[in-house]
Amino acid sequence: MLTRLGRRGLLAIYALLILVPLAVMVFSSFKTSGEMYQNPLALPGALQTENYATLFDEQSMGRYFLNSATVTLFSVGCSLFFATLISFAILRLPGWKGLLVYGLFAVGMTVPAQVNMIPLYALVLDLGLTNSLLGLILVNIAVTLPVAVFIIAGFMKTLPRELIEAGAMDGASEWVMYRRIVLPLSLPSIAATAIFLFVMIWNDLLYPLLLTNNPDVKTLPLALLEFQGEYMTNYPVLFAGVLIASAPMILAYILLQRHFVSGMTAGAIKG
Amino acid sequence: MNRFVHKTTLSALAASLLLTVGCSSSSETTADGKVKINFLHWRGEDSDVFKELIAKFEAENQTIDVEMSVMPSEQYQSTAQTKLADGQSGDVFTSFPGAQFETIAKANLFADLTNESFVTNYEPNLIKAGQKDGKQFALPLQLVYNQPVYNVELFNKYNLTPPTDWEGFLKVCETLKANGITPIAFPGADVGPGQFMNSMLMNNAPNEDVFTKLEAGDAKLTDAWWTKTLSQFKELNDKGYIQKDSLGTKQDAAVAYFAQGKAAMLATGSYAMASAKKQNAELKLGLLAPITVSAADKKWDGIHTTTFMLAVNSKSQHQTEAKKFIDFLSRKDNAEVYANKTSQHVTVKGVNYTSPELKDTISWTQKNTRFQPRFLIQSGDVQKAVTSSIQDVLSGTAPEEAAAKAQKLVEQKLKK
Amino acid sequence: MKPSKWIYLFLLPGLLLYGVFFVYPSLSALFYSFTDWDGLSPDFNLIGFENYTRMITDDTVFQTSLVNNLKFMAVVVVLQTGFSLLFALLLLKNTRTNRFFRSLFFFPTVLSSISVAFIGAFLYDPTLGLLNNLFDRVGLGFLSQNWIGDPKIAIYSVALMQVWAHTGQMLVLFLAGLNSIPREMFEAAAVEGASRWQTFRYVTWPLLAPATTIVIAYTTIQSFKAFDLIYAMTRGGPNYATEILSTFLYHSAFQNYEFGYASAGSVLFMLVIALVTFLQFRALRSRKVTY
Repeated sequence: MLTRLGRRGLLAIYALLILVPLAVMVFSSFKTSGEMYQNPLALPGALQTENYATLFDEQSMGRYFLNSATVTLFSVGCSLFFATLISFAILRLPGWKGLLVYGLFAVGMTVPAQVNMIPLYALVLDLGLTNSLLGLILVNIAVTLPVAVFIIAGFMKTLPRELIEAGAMDGASEWVMYRRIVLPLSLPSIAATAIFLFVMIWNDLLYPLLLTNNPDVKTLPLALLEFQGEYMTNYPVLFAGVLIASAPMILAYILLQRHFVSGMTAGAIKG
Repeated sequence: MNRFVHKTTLSALAASLLLTVGCSSSSETTADGKVKINFLHWRGEDSDVFKELIAKFEAENQTIDVEMSVMPSEQYQSTAQTKLADGQSGDVFTSFPGAQFETIAKANLFADLTNESFVTNYEPNLIKAGQKDGKQFALPLQLVYNQPVYNVELFNKYNLTPPTDWEGFLKVCETLKANGITPIAFPGADVGPGQFMNSMLMNNAPNEDVFTKLEAGDAKLTDAWWTKTLSQFKELNDKGYIQKDSLGTKQDAAVAYFAQGKAAMLATGSYAMASAKKQNAELKLGLLAPITVSAADKKWDGIHTTTFMLAVNSKSQHQTEAKKFIDFLSRKDNAEVYANKTSQHVTVKGVNYTSPELKDTISWTQKNTRFQPRFLIQSGDVQKAVTSSIQDVLSGTAPEEAAAKAQKLVEQKLKK
Repeated sequence: MKPSKWIYLFLLPGLLLYGVFFVYPSLSALFYSFTDWDGLSPDFNLIGFENYTRMITDDTVFQTSLVNNLKFMAVVVVLQTGFSLLFALLLLKNTRTNRFFRSLFFFPTVLSSISVAFIGAFLYDPTLGLLNNLFDRVGLGFLSQNWIGDPKIAIYSVALMQVWAHTGQMLVLFLAGLNSIPREMFEAAAVEGASRWQTFRYVTWPLLAPATTIVIAYTTIQSFKAFDLIYAMTRGGPNYATEILSTFLYHSAFQNYEFGYASAGSVLFMLVIALVTFLQFRALRSRKVTY
């Protein structure tokens, strides 16, 4: 279908489409505003490292980073855990019951966040969970469960029935079937969901903004928001921040990559 | 999978850890008996200056801590407004004049500031936007001129002066164009229509309540005052006085274009002077307004807005401290620091401007300027219909047709 | 095989959190859709279905935003699914170059919408932007467009940025899907002497059905919820050309102060997505394969 050159060419073009803007962002983070607008593609004249310095000495970047890391890791961890439990239950529940649970979570994906925001705020306030990392984590879990269940249950459905039935026949408990049979086989979809949730939560602006005021519990995206003004956005400093904030997500991708790429089902049906 | 066992135990441990983190930060009285107030606004560009002022305030008021929350206007309209309702955020907050002010007042979220001493620090005729039913609910701090900024040196180069009538304005544009300079840089994709419409409209509809009439159904967009304005937009566009494809140009690009000397006028407002100078410190800037009628019929010289209205949340638990902070910001010396460091005019009396562009444009306080008409439109839908009709005309639609389309949208809104 | 009663315990923690922090606020919003609440004041009136009838029959902006959203969705679903599948097939082998490409292609997903909007402006600005300047430079000046300023093509330009931002994300799902197909399937096809295209059409594509379904459904829903990018790039203009349902909801709730109306909008919004997704499922269901 596509010649080797055609394939390489296509990959190269798309790679360029990403590398060029990335280069602009990297270069701009070392320029002044004026310099950036003059010629975005040029290499910076003198390296304006104070863009990066601004981030670190005026903001409590370390604190924001730590908060983002805490919130993201716990939210993703718990959400994945609960989602796998629910997906397994959907798999096991007979007939309409499983479908109902699946539908209940899947429909959550279609709800726009803006409108839920107002009642949610009142609820979190009443529970005394504003200005706390815990509140953010609980909300994040609830909000990402629809996507997580949708993807994980969607892939779990394709696992061969015989495996689970074999387990049940051997007298294994639900927990053991979940833990030893289904979970390992679902690793690719779990890893895929993990990277989705990681990015979603790490970059999330809405819930931290809504639910926190105290600078002690603010997350990274909030720190970067300060560089966006009413009429003027300080792009050089913003990009410095964005690049730093992107690093953990790319790192997470690189780490998780081998899991959604390794073929775990190969050979599982034999015998 | 070890990973999951690991995660579950971690989560359980963390949950207990977080419960402690969770509970400690929610009270507004810190451990050492200080009161913490939250200052909520949208001016990211001013954060550094505010931080400086806050440090000074905290030094003068050892028992009060000010926590600043800044969010750009998109988030401010949604998230900040949601948080105001219960008084936990925004002990001191800011409001736009017009629809936002009216809605917040209707929800009784403004504390009454009428009898506060600091109200007298302000120019009385510049704080009307924060008044309702004879009471002062908010105090606008910023004084902005929503009319084009122009490059003084480019004008001098071609012996041009700010024109006094429509023919004069067209001639200025023609001269610039003939010399290879784009006359007007217009960010049609975002703020352009909403800003430039004001000076284009002010003399075509000299009566200040035309939009109130529109929203009451007594005036129509298809009437002469608006169709004339639209056709003048079209004229500027057809003659090539607005940069090509302006509807695809956003604010940043328009400012860059202007700052690089490729355009002589920037059709936004005085707030753009700071951004332009940040990109090109050599610029000499002034303000002008297109006079869309003959010199004899001219009533208004320009457009001003008093905005960034400081207010105290009526549900706040710390109104005394909040008022102290506003009192601090209203002091002449502090307002002066704010004005000069952020390059904006303020509404506080007796302020001495030291930055060049502020000094050059101070003469505008003496001219006959009108309060920004766009802010007098109460409904977001109507405002959008109005600015969209400008975009419509700039993409080639005939003025009468664009006005009719917009009027239809207005009537849909009025039906409710 | 009937599960033991313990299975309900599996549902408990997730359902609890979901119920409290998601379902409950959603139901509150549903309630408000029957009122004229402005989102701030303590009082409001119950007005029945008035919000719904007004939106469907009288609100041309709602209708425009629905049409725009469908156009946007169509372009995004086709291009995003197509490209991410193609890239997944090209980058399937676990070589070092492939791993690099996969990470690179994922990069746009980690950018916040303000960065993507900046890049959009960098590419699309009519005078200073890269695309038009590039076309002029190589003599293809006639290809220059007013990318986000021309009401006729603005929605498509924005759709392309959405595809750029999320193809790398869908790539992940297709990779996971491709890797769930047992090796024996490919080996058997090779033994039978199947060509590349035949292997794809008769082995890969059918067995990829679950992943494809998930990608299409997710992309569809994502394209309906795309608020940040569109707002940052065009604010719904010019002249409502890029106004989609989510920007329409935002304007109603927070700039018009008609929260009740916006809530009704979000219910209609959900119904539209549900309908579109249901139609897609029907079209794809015939391809489900179990083995």
